[in-house]
Amino acid sequence: MLNSRRKKDLILQSITYMASFISLFVLISILLFVFLNGFKLLNMDLITHNFESTSYIADLKDFTGPGVFNTNKDFDDHTYYSTKWGIALSDSENLMGHTIVLVTYVHEDSPFNDLRNKGVATQDLMLDVDYEIVRIAFDDGPSALSIQGAQNMIQVLDTKTTFRELEYSTSGGGIRGSIITTLYLIGLTLLIALPVGVGAALYLNEYAPKNKFTKALRNLIETLTGVPSIIYGLMGLALFVPITISLTKATGANLISGALTLSVILMPVIIRTTEESLKVVPDDYRHASLALGGNKTQTTFKIVLPSAFSGILTATLLAIGRIIGESAALVFAVGTAIKDHVSIYDKSTSLSVHIWAMMTDEPANIELSTTIAIIILVIVLSMNLSIKLISKRLLRKYGVTHE
Amino acid sequence: MRKIFLVLALALSFSLAACTSGSSFDDSKNITVYTRDTTSGTRAGFMEGIGFSAAAGSDDVLVEGFVIKDNTGIMTSMGTDEYGIGYVSLSSLNNTIKGLNFEGVAPTVANVLNDTYGLKRPFMWMVRDTGDYESTEIDQLVKAFVAFLGTTDAADIINNNGAIALQTTVTWDSIKAQHPITARNNSNVTLRFGGSDSIQKVAQALTQAFSAKAGNFVAEHDHTGSGDAYKRTQTIGLSDPVSKHVGFSSRYFKDTEKVGVATSDMGQLAWDAIVAIVHKNNPVTNITAAQLKAIYDGTYTKWSDVVSE
Amino acid sequence: MQSKIHIKQTQKRHNQWLDNAIKYILMGFAILSSSFIFIIAGVIMVKGVTPFITNNGGLGRVNLADFLTGSTWLIGESFNSNLYAVGFLIISTLFIAFLSLLISFPVGVLTALFIAKIAPKKLAETLRTVIEMLASIPSIIYGLFGAGIILKLVYDFSTILGFQSKGGNSILSSVLVLAIMTIPTIASISEVAIRSVDKSIEHGSLALGASKTQTHFKVVLTSAKSGIFTSAILGIGRVLGEATAVSLVAGGRRSGINFNILDTTSTLTTMMLEGMKETTGLDYDIRFSVGIVLMIVILITNFTLNYIKRKVGNVDVK
Repeated sequence: MLNSRRKKDLILQSITYMASFISLFVLISILLFVFLNGFKLLNMDLITHNFESTSYIADLKDFTGPGVFNTNKDFDDHTYYSTKWGIALSDSENLMGHTIVLVTYVHEDSPFNDLRNKGVATQDLMLDVDYEIVRIAFDDGPSALSIQGAQNMIQVLDTKTTFRELEYSTSGGGIRGSIITTLYLIGLTLLIALPVGVGAALYLNEYAPKNKFTKALRNLIETLTGVPSIIYGLMGLALFVPITISLTKATGANLISGALTLSVILMPVIIRTTEESLKVVPDDYRHASLALGGNKTQTTFKIVLPSAFSGILTATLLAIGRIIGESAALVFAVGTAIKDHVSIYDKSTSLSVHIWAMMTDEPANIELSTTIAIIILVIVLSMNLSIKLISKRLLRKYGVTHE
Repeated sequence: MRKIFLVLALALSFSLAACTSGSSFDDSKNITVYTRDTTSGTRAGFMEGIGFSAAAGSDDVLVEGFVIKDNTGIMTSMGTDEYGIGYVSLSSLNNTIKGLNFEGVAPTVANVLNDTYGLKRPFMWMVRDTGDYESTEIDQLVKAFVAFLGTTDAADIINNNGAIALQTTVTWDSIKAQHPITARNNSNVTLRFGGSDSIQKVAQALTQAFSAKAGNFVAEHDHTGSGDAYKRTQTIGLSDPVSKHVGFSSRYFKDTEKVGVATSDMGQLAWDAIVAIVHKNNPVTNITAAQLKAIYDGTYTKWSDVVSE
Repeated sequence: MQSKIHIKQTQKRHNQWLDNAIKYILMGFAILSSSFIFIIAGVIMVKGVTPFITNNGGLGRVNLADFLTGSTWLIGESFNSNLYAVGFLIISTLFIAFLSLLISFPVGVLTALFIAKIAPKKLAETLRTVIEMLASIPSIIYGLFGAGIILKLVYDFSTILGFQSKGGNSILSSVLVLAIMTIPTIASISEVAIRSVDKSIEHGSLALGASKTQTHFKVVLTSAKSGIFTSAILGIGRVLGEATAVSLVAGGRRSGINFNILDTTSTLTTMMLEGMKETTGLDYDIRFSVGIVLMIVILITNFTLNYIKRKVGNVDVK
């Protein structure tokens, strides 16, 4: 008798261990996948730089002809130096992982130090280290393009005595704007979704009579779970964008409408998880509070809600996860215009949508996508830990024990 | 302790299954056909090029059991599936897969420019009707941009980003006097670009270069698909936030999309070569239009049919 | 005396006024939340019903019966034909959802049990954080993981079995990707439910002589039934509505019902997503019709699951 029970226990235990191991194994594989693919492009510059790079068009000013610019500098294998013009170029990769031609050295007497600006601004230009050369155009022959490499560009330059136009740019591809957008979206969405969601859950569990109407409300809320995100995006575009345009100073799709769309997506998760944790608060607590003379409002907000705190916390963390991970809905509701100056009255991209934009490139930039995923994980981890820390302190302060 | 061993053993067997060594190419295997979906400009270009235009818009005529993937998907699939065949844009080609010669011609930029490589699709642009802009500055800037597209400077940018520009000898310097709007400071002007996301990279490079030449206007890019090139420039009014000033498409405009559009409001900016690709272990190096058509319509089902030719 | 009673009565009325006000505000929130489904339905209906009632620019009406029962997505050329059908998609969507839940539900719930009851505190806390982190990865990254790793595994796996898989694109790959995506959701929500089970029930069972495992399975899990079921419902919602990740591994089958898990497939959502950006006219509107079908499928699934939940019974812990 005892043996068969122990056997059953053993089987159940091993299944449990196996299941957890499978979960852990799978989840670690995903983390490994993300880290191994994305590590290469991980860079502080990626986080702090603008996405947009600026191009400059220049040509030579008061040019009498190239000279001889010798230098004692030692250049490595990927750097090519032109003694005729006094610049060194090398093949490199920009923040997005695309190959570029980078300026690594400019001789102090090189004609590239004094260029005329062909654009509208009047200030003179000079070619400096860390700029990327896009192309050099000539009157007598095809241009030297960055796609052809640094060596080719130096070789072509060495055969010419002047050039028509030089186009170079500052580095771009940073995701700072998208990080800021993501943080704004989290803040706005939680501000809208948590009160409404927790409030609705409180109503359904504490105040609502157990009749068909309440059941119907619950079912309607639950049906929201399976709707594909694209549909939410279209709904956001059709409903929230006009509303926000008329109520705020927005003139097009904006982050507030995006936050409203996300709130609708989160509604069932927040309401259901909160409801489940409210359900488990023993009735004794409620009865005791009422017996002590508290009214329904005090009972609900001072006794029941704090007891359900950890469940609501989980709901919040899940919500944050979903906000950060949601891309399809925002692509349709807010658009994919990556911005450096982020305003909540204007459109911009969250990190997820930024990944989407990188993936629709041809060819798709899988490495940068996984790099951004790493950054997402870091953000989520830090939010997660800080929220848990704050809530632990709050719980201690209010003295509600639950573990 | 025992449980942990059991679990580790299972995990090990799983990973053993994953590590199968590479085998030699067995040409009695079936050909797995990969394609884009019917709305893709790449597919239209490919099917026209191999003489199978019926398959550009219809899935019925394709061989049974084809697999539909997007651009990235076809590339990664060809990296795993040794018996697959697909097609991608030339700008996506990398060394994880093998690009086939088409009718004996290698898929290179040079061969597209000298017109010997036959598989290609057009990159097109479309703008709003004259006068249908928020201000005359935007109207003139858009016209200047269109003129820019036909210059060697724009051709350089296009070539630099993997597409193949049309031949031209006009430089921007020679025509910029006709567009005085570019000589003033336009940093408070925003132009909205949209349309095909296959062209996004090229479009962004073009606007970045042109912005430096035209007073540093702000270019906003929101690419959502070739269908939106027409939709968001011609059918959606300026009051709608998704409206665009310039739209790009990676296929020819349909007849329904050309209705009511002046010929000066649309045109082609570049070609994009399409390459047939296979797994690196595949011994095939050259393929003809006839063979591709036979593969895609189901006449050839095994690799032995192709290799034997 | 009278003034004291008067004060008590005003206080009582005041309290009642506050209680009622709060009640109605919260009810407003609940009604607002439940009204969104109608708004969404409205948005989809506007576009989704047109193929069935208008002439679709000369192509003729789409026949509703054929649409719901047919086995080929489109017979004929795009933009030139109105012979769309989603019948086979409904079946494959449900099949895939069922299979993926078959994997993710046990794994998720048992993992939750492990975290909540068996694992030492530090390990449990770490696991919980890891799972919450993974719930926030964009679905496209899961799709990339699927396309990069799972496709290769399934391709090699099927070579071992002797079946020539189409690059790994198959029902099995879609099921695995979806299962991986839903495990965090099911695990976190079930874990909350299991953690909330009253300790006294557990202690009572142990005191009566049951072993720890027996207590876990027969007492704790059954007490947390309601929460665990909720996690399943939310999980299946995610599975039915997932488009991007699945479209990278499914294969895009265009006709025919397929139960061979190593062969390609398609779902309602992947069909909706495909070309949604690049298309116009009937081809665009018909995807909204697919959306309507999907929502009906979700309604029926939720209804069935809720019915089962009621039959299995709620454990009253109060």
